[in-house]
Amino acid sequence: MSSRVQQKDAARKRREAIEAEERRAGQRRGARRRLAIIAAAAVALTAGAVTVSRLSQEDAVAQPDAVSQRFAGLPQDGIRLGSPSAPVTLVEFADLQCPFCGAYARDVLPTIIERYVRPGKLKLELNLLTFVGEDSVKAGRMAAATTAQDRFWGFTDAFFAAQGQENTGYVTDDFLEATATAAGADHDAAAGDDATADRVLEQAQTAADRLGVSSTPTFFLRRGHDETPLKIDDLTVDTFTAALDAALR
Amino acid sequence: MSAVAASPRRPRVTLRAATAVLSLVGVAVAGYLTWVHYAGLEPFCVGGGGGCERVQSSEYAELLGVPVAVAGLAGYLALLGSLALPEELSRMTAGFLALTGAAFSLYLTYVEIVEIHALCQWCVVSAVLMVALAGVSVARLSRTPSA
Repeated sequence: MSSRVQQKDAARKRREAIEAEERRAGQRRGARRRLAIIAAAAVALTAGAVTVSRLSQEDAVAQPDAVSQRFAGLPQDGIRLGSPSAPVTLVEFADLQCPFCGAYARDVLPTIIERYVRPGKLKLELNLLTFVGEDSVKAGRMAAATTAQDRFWGFTDAFFAAQGQENTGYVTDDFLEATATAAGADHDAAAGDDATADRVLEQAQTAADRLGVSSTPTFFLRRGHDETPLKIDDLTVDTFTAALDAALR
Repeated sequence: MSAVAASPRRPRVTLRAATAVLSLVGVAVAGYLTWVHYAGLEPFCVGGGGGCERVQSSEYAELLGVPVAVAGLAGYLALLGSLALPEELSRMTAGFLALTGAAFSLYLTYVEIVEIHALCQWCVVSAVLMVALAGVSVARLSRTPSA
């Protein structure tokens, strides 16, 4: 009698043990399934975020090497270059035909970008005026139109690199197309974007009138709403950076 | 008796505590980067070199117009908030947030090394925190309810 009770008790315990093990196995399977679903959702969301991040860089990657290296990783927004949160803006007024503007762009600007813009100390704003002659107007309109593609800085950089003698008629359609191509800009789209060209050049002229700009290049430093002239004796890297350092101190 | 009853719960409590501590450190790191971003300041970088400024002023520092530092801060705060949810929902929410954060942090670290050619120490610390949080979250998710 006692033996049968013991056997039934042992059988019940075995059954309970098996059921408990099956329960635990089911829970482990459930945990693994949950983990797999959550991991898949996390991978999907990350893939989406990475795609958005890559797409926003795609255009910059498509720029020619020389241009993309100089401006690589720097935010461009219309006529502005550099981090939007940079505390000070170096505001420049220039004419694409002006030889001193070209000398500044070729000899000084690369150092300004590396030393001040890349570290986030300064952002740049380039206002184009078109008073030197008809070539200034043609070049300025094309450059202004490339702001809609955020290729303005690449365009002006390429233009100044190939700058010719003032008012010799070198700013042909072919010259502008080659400059736009060098900047990675869509030439045809820019050539047809009169609205952007008008707006950007008008804003530059309005700002020049307000600040009393009478020659190019002319520089100002803007902190908040405060704009102060940056006096430069000669356009060399040392003179320019010394003036900037003193002004930013 | 009370010691026996508390024993199975200890790992779960420890993992929740680890999630809380790591998230709080993450809030501090991402909060600092958010503050310097909006204050227009340069992040403090041990040893100089300008890596932090270079990364923070790059195009990669924003995603759809939102500073990555702000997204990180939101992620760490959400991880902290997830601890207030019922256990099952808490584990799933924290797991999703931490795994996503860790994967995106690893992508950003790749971008720093390969494309920007500069490392931001604060971003590296944040990436390590997110990977640790992912590990802790996976451990929480792997436990059966009775564990």
